[in-house]
Order: sequence, then C-alpha cells, then structure tokens
Amino acid sequence: MNYPVWDVPVIGSGWVIGIIAIIHVLISHFAVGGGIYLAVAEWKARREGRTDWLPYLKSHSYFFLVLTGVYGAVTGVAIWFAIGLAHPEGTSTLIHNFVFGWGIEWVFFLVELTAAAAYYYTWDRIPPKLHQFVGWVYAGASVLTLVIINGILTFMLTPGAEWLAVAGTGREAGEFWNAFFNPTYWPSLVMRTAVCLAMAAIWGLVSASRLDPKSQAGLKTAVVRWSAWWLIPAFVLMPLCFVWYLYMIPPDRSGLLELGVTTIGQGTFTQVTRAALVSVMTSATVLAIVYFIAYQRPTEFTLGHAIAVLGIALAATGSTEYSREMLRKPYVVADHMYSSGVRKSDVERLNRDGYLTHSPWVGEAAAGPHDRGRLMFLGQCASCHTPDGYRPMKTLLGDRDRKAIENLLETLHANKDDSPYRKFMPPLVGTPDERAALADYLLTPSPRRGPRGSPALASGR
Amino acid sequence: MGLELKPPAAEPSENGNPADAKPEPAPPGEPGGVVRRLYDWADERLGLTELRKFAAKKTVPQHRHSFWYYFGGISLFLFIVQVFTGVLLLVYFRPGPEAYDSVRRITYEVHFGWLIRSAHAWSAGLMIFAVFVHMFSAGLMKAYRRPREFTWWAGIVLLLLTLGFGFSGYLLTWDEVAYFGTKVGIEVAEKTPVLGKPYANLLRGGPDVNENTLQRFFALHVVVFPLLFMPVLMLHLWLVSKHGNAVPPSEEAKPAGERKSIPFFPNFLMKDLAMWLITLNVIALFASFFPWQLGSQADPLKPAPQGIHPEWYFMSSFQVLKVFGNWFPGAAGEMLGMSVFTLGLVLWFLLPLYDTSERRGRRARLATYFILFALGVLVVTTIWGYAAL
Repeated sequence: MNYPVWDVPVIGSGWVIGIIAIIHVLISHFAVGGGIYLAVAEWKARREGRTDWLPYLKSHSYFFLVLTGVYGAVTGVAIWFAIGLAHPEGTSTLIHNFVFGWGIEWVFFLVELTAAAAYYYTWDRIPPKLHQFVGWVYAGASVLTLVIINGILTFMLTPGAEWLAVAGTGREAGEFWNAFFNPTYWPSLVMRTAVCLAMAAIWGLVSASRLDPKSQAGLKTAVVRWSAWWLIPAFVLMPLCFVWYLYMIPPDRSGLLELGVTTIGQGTFTQVTRAALVSVMTSATVLAIVYFIAYQRPTEFTLGHAIAVLGIALAATGSTEYSREMLRKPYVVADHMYSSGVRKSDVERLNRDGYLTHSPWVGEAAAGPHDRGRLMFLGQCASCHTPDGYRPMKTLLGDRDRKAIENLLETLHANKDDSPYRKFMPPLVGTPDERAALADYLLTPSPRRGPRGSPALASGR
Repeated sequence: MGLELKPPAAEPSENGNPADAKPEPAPPGEPGGVVRRLYDWADERLGLTELRKFAAKKTVPQHRHSFWYYFGGISLFLFIVQVFTGVLLLVYFRPGPEAYDSVRRITYEVHFGWLIRSAHAWSAGLMIFAVFVHMFSAGLMKAYRRPREFTWWAGIVLLLLTLGFGFSGYLLTWDEVAYFGTKVGIEVAEKTPVLGKPYANLLRGGPDVNENTLQRFFALHVVVFPLLFMPVLMLHLWLVSKHGNAVPPSEEAKPAGERKSIPFFPNFLMKDLAMWLITLNVIALFASFFPWQLGSQADPLKPAPQGIHPEWYFMSSFQVLKVFGNWFPGAAGEMLGMSVFTLGLVLWFLLPLYDTSERRGRRARLATYFILFALGVLVVTTIWGYAAL
C-alpha cells in the first residue's frame, strides 16, 4: 500500500477506468482507421474523378477532427488520471519501463493532431497533391500511435521471460525491446488494426447515413457501400488473430476462458467466458446489419440505423476490452504484480513483516482493529471488489460466519496449487493479526457503516 | 448478391391464366440451372410462386409511427426464443421432487446451461414487455377498429396466455422466491369473487402450494398453454396479413396520394429481421452479464422471505391490491381490487365495440384517454410497488 487508495463507491475504481477506456477505444480506433479511410477515400475520389465525394469527405473530416481531436484526446488524458488514481503501482511500473515509449507516443500524437487539423482546414486551400500528402501523414502518425500503445498494453498480459528475469532488479529498462515486442504483440497489433478499419466503416456509415436519399441517391449508395467494405478485414482476420492470440498467452491465462462454460456459480470467475460470448455475438450482428441493411439498401440506411450499429459496436468493443482485461487476472502485470498492487516478489516479505507495516499512508488511520481491517480491504480487495456494489463482498460472502470467513481468507493467503481461487485471485498477504482484522471487517453487514451496533466511523482514509 | 429472387421465365399457361404459367425449363448442366430446377420442383408442390406474389403485394405503411410496427414481430421472435430455449431446458429439467436439483444441474453443471436458462428467463420478461408495448401502441393507433376487432381480441388472449406462461414457469425452479411468490400470487387470485377459491384450488391441487402444484404448472407451461397459444397466434397473424397494418388516425386523414408505404417483402422483412437480431443481442447481453442464479430450495415450513414480491409484470396488480387493502381493510379490499381488475379487462376487451367510428369523435378521444390512463396506472403502480419494498 505505497499509495493512498481511491475508494469509488458502487462501481469501484476499476470501472472508472473501464468506462472511460471503452469510450476512448471506440473513438481512438476510429482515429487510426478513419485516418486511413479519409486518405484512401480522397485518393480514390480524385483518381476516379468522383467529384461529388469531395464535399462529403470534407464534412466527414470535420466530424472526424472534432470527434477524435476533442473526445478522443479528452478521454485519452482521462485514462491517465484514472489509472494513476485507481492503480498507481501498476501505472508506475508502466511509466518506469516505457518512458521512452510514452515519449515517442506523445510525439506521434502531436503530429497526428496537427495533421488532422491541417487536413480539414487546408481543404480547397492547398493543391490537391499536398492535401493528399497531409492525409497520408495523419494516417501514418495515427498508425504509429497504435504501434506504440499496443506494445505497452500487451506487455501487461505477456511481459515475456526476458523482462520477468530482471523484474525488480532495477535493470528492467534494459529489456525495453523484449518487453515491447512481447509474445502477444503481433496478434494484438493485427487484430487492433483490423478493428480500426472496422471502426472507420462504422463511423463512416454514421456520416454517410445523413446524406439525402433523394437528392444524393447516387453518392449515398456509393459511399455507404464503400464504407461497408471496410468491415471485411476485421471479420476475416479476427477469428484467425483470436486463435493466434490465445496460442501466445500462457495456458493458465487462456484457461480462464473456459471457467464460465459449465457454471455460473458465485465465487467462480466466469467473466471472461461471458464477455467473450457477447463480443462474438455483437460483432457478428454488426456485420449482419451492415450487410443486410446498409449494403443491400444503402438509400434506406438512416442515421437511426447507423446509431444502432454504433451502439452494438460499443457493446462489442466494451465486451472485448473487458474480457481482455479479465484475462490478466490475478495480475495487473502478469507474473510480476497482482491486481492488488502487491508484487509477486514482495509476498514473503509482507507476510513476514505485515502489509500495513510497509504502507506509508496508513499512519493514524490504523488506530483500531476495524480501521486496520478496512485498510486491508481497501489495499488488497478494493481494486476488484466493492462492499455492496460491483462484485459485492456482501453477496459473495453470503451467510458465512466468522469461522467460514477466516477459512476463506486462509485459503486465499495460503494460495496453494489446488486452491479454487488461485487462477483469478491474488494471494492475501499480511500477518495473522492483519488477516483477523480483515475478517472482522468483512463480518459487518454493511462494512461502510462499521461493526454491528456501533456508530459509523468517520476516519479510516 | 441480392435477396430478390428473379422469377423464372414463364411459358404461357394452357388456360391463359398467368398464374398457371409454367416456368421455362432450366438449361441442363449449369449451376443456375440446378437451382432453378430445384425451385421448380418445390414450387410445383408447395406453391412458392403464389407465396412470393402474395408477399410482394403486401405493403407496410411508412409514417412517423411506423417504428411501433416492429414490436409485434419482436414479440413473435421472443416467443420463438422461448420455445427454442424451453425445449433445450426440457432435456434436463425434471418436474417433481427433483425439480430444484435439475435446475441446479442446469445452472451449475451442464455446459452453457446457465446461458440457456438465463436467456429463457430474460427473454420471458422481454417478451411480456414487448407484448405490452405492442398492445398499447396498437391501441393508441386505434388498430382495434373495424375490421380488426378479432385481431385485438386474439391479442388480448395472447397477452393473458403470455402472463400465464410467466406465472407457471416461475414456479418450476422450486426455489424460495419461486415458491413464496407463487403462493402469494395464487392467494391473491383466490380473492376473486365467486370463482376465486375453486380456481385457486384447481391450480394448486389442494389448499396449499405443493408438489402437485409444480406438476400442474409444468403441464400448463409446456403443454396446455402452448396448445392454446399456437392456434390463437396463427389466427392473429393471419388476420394481420389479411387486413394489413392499421394506420393511426393522423395518417388516415391524409389524402391517399400523400401516404407512403414499402413492400413487406423484402424491404420491411429485412428491417424486421434486423430488429430480431438486435433483440437477440439484448438477450445475449442480459443473459451474459446478468445471469440468473438459483436461490435456496423452497421449504414450505419456513416463513416467506422478507420483501417477497412478484416479478415486475405482476407488480402493478400487486401494488393496486395493497392500496385497495389499505383503503378497505380485510377481505373486502382484496375482493374489490380483483373486481376492479376484472372490470378493467372486460372494458379493454370491449374497446373495439365502443370506439367504432373512423372519425375523431368523442368516443375516440375517450378511448384514447382510457388507454393512456391504463398505461399510466400500470407504470406508476409498478414503480410504486418497487419503491415500497
């Protein structure tokens, strides 16, 4: 517990990241794919003499600039705030390991945003060839932003044996390239590139749906159908990349995908299976609706249809990103740092010396046993659980009495190979007194209010 | 790749009737020829060309309220989902003393049993919601008027059967909530004057909810209600295809030249199927992220859990009866409540015979107010019921 804990009621701090990140992915992947789309569309329009496309592409590029430059940038920065508050340990690891990567990422962002603004504002003001060049600059810069962020994201799931060998020694930065081009880097890059092209299609359909079917029937037909084609790479490549991706992750991680096949019981970790099912279903639905409604009947494709497709794409994005995040359990950096922020290498020390003992932010807040129990909960459980909101302890613990709760905590602490929780729960670290304090805290019917019969505790933060 | 089938070229018929024209034989050895020959073979026996001509003639009005037309199809789709998931559940469900254990197995042991059960449960609630939306939107568009009275009446029967499906299926898990929810529900129905007590005893197979009740509910859920539902559904669909979609009075007032429509096949059908696909996704989302768990096994000797309440689609009646019970304590309040429900249902049934005029007269306005009042009571008392828990 090297940092203060950000206690978010009901949804938990993790979902603050999740909500912001899902919206950001929907827009940022459009920023990459849409940039390629615009550059290719302009090239096609000029080459084939489709002069009616150019005013449409200009208005689409304005929409693109506002959406990606404003909402994309704002949500991207918001992720930084959210991860820094929700999981400072994990964020610290990423910053220290990839500081050069983050640096170059911001250079690419700068080029990207400047090129996006220049692309729109110089339309009809500079020679077509130069304008086309600006479009390609934008496309290239945005692809490079994906190339960088993909390395950092995939590192968290598969840091690679070379980096893990030096983790905690101070020499991690020396393994930058091995950590960056880790085992899941390439399947993830191909998958995300395909998704970017799909997002270009979907957002392109939003713009194209607004064309008037009476006065612009020919343009609408051509643009809607052309946009729909951009979905094809995703739907051809995704199944193959998914198999490739699964092949590259360790079996204990991919095993999480199977946990939800047979059961849905409390205390089992079925999120990955369930989210993956939704991801497959919603993705297939996007393809079906775009083909049967947009491609078959382009002039009847309305903004309402496009918004519906966007909504389903949001569900597909959200469920895919959620299942990817859940696949990392019980780690935030696989085989190095658990979701609780505890490093694998620190478990023995914290068990021996105490978890709260090594927490500089505890101080006077750990006055009484209930305070200590609450701090143990905040430090080691709150990254994934809330008392009575998301993944609620109240429901998961059910009617367990003190003895049963103590047995559960002991199982988590021992973290043996045959523990049913080992696959998805970090080990519970701390001395027996600290674990007993946590048991006492969990025994209260509504932990926020304090122990039964006692007034609410105002302190504890 | 288009969806419109190109009609095969026809040879003139012997009797001069174009409908009896024979299609030109397909050229041998060509892939298209094989498909054409298969089509011709099936067409001669099944009358596919006649079906296509019939479908091509049907049009669906296009106006600003057209969106509500989808809810009939959505209700139908959800029923299809219920049948499909219900049959899969039937493979593992065992009515009788092993009911709870079989549901436990389905939920916690059978591969994707939890998914099928959750889809069935969510789809049930969504179907009832869709049926209510369909009914109220049809009512507000005055689709009960001549010549569609029987369509309306068949629809009411379908609504009641759908609620019956929901009520009978709810008990089958035999967990605490299901047992006590059904017990309270039947006790409420028992308060209906005259018929209440014999009806309740017939449902329960005795004075209390027991294993006989489960067997009877199972028979109702998988045999009796489907046997009643299917012919009424066929009648309802046939009447809709016969009379076409009703248009609201605002659209009727327009000159014929200003009214728009699209062909049912394939234009409207494609959009309808897209709505079905979206509905399937909604079921998948709910079933995956909010799967149904199983409570503890019912124990008739235990008291009812605190805050026991029916499913949302019976919450309105539950709350109305509570209110009547507060105003008129004892049996009188409950009897009055049940009488009010019965009267409401009778008036709802008689709506087509009350509001018959095609013009916007006083009766038309009163009928609209009555529908809006019923909708308002339903929504308000449902929310009130949950708030009062």
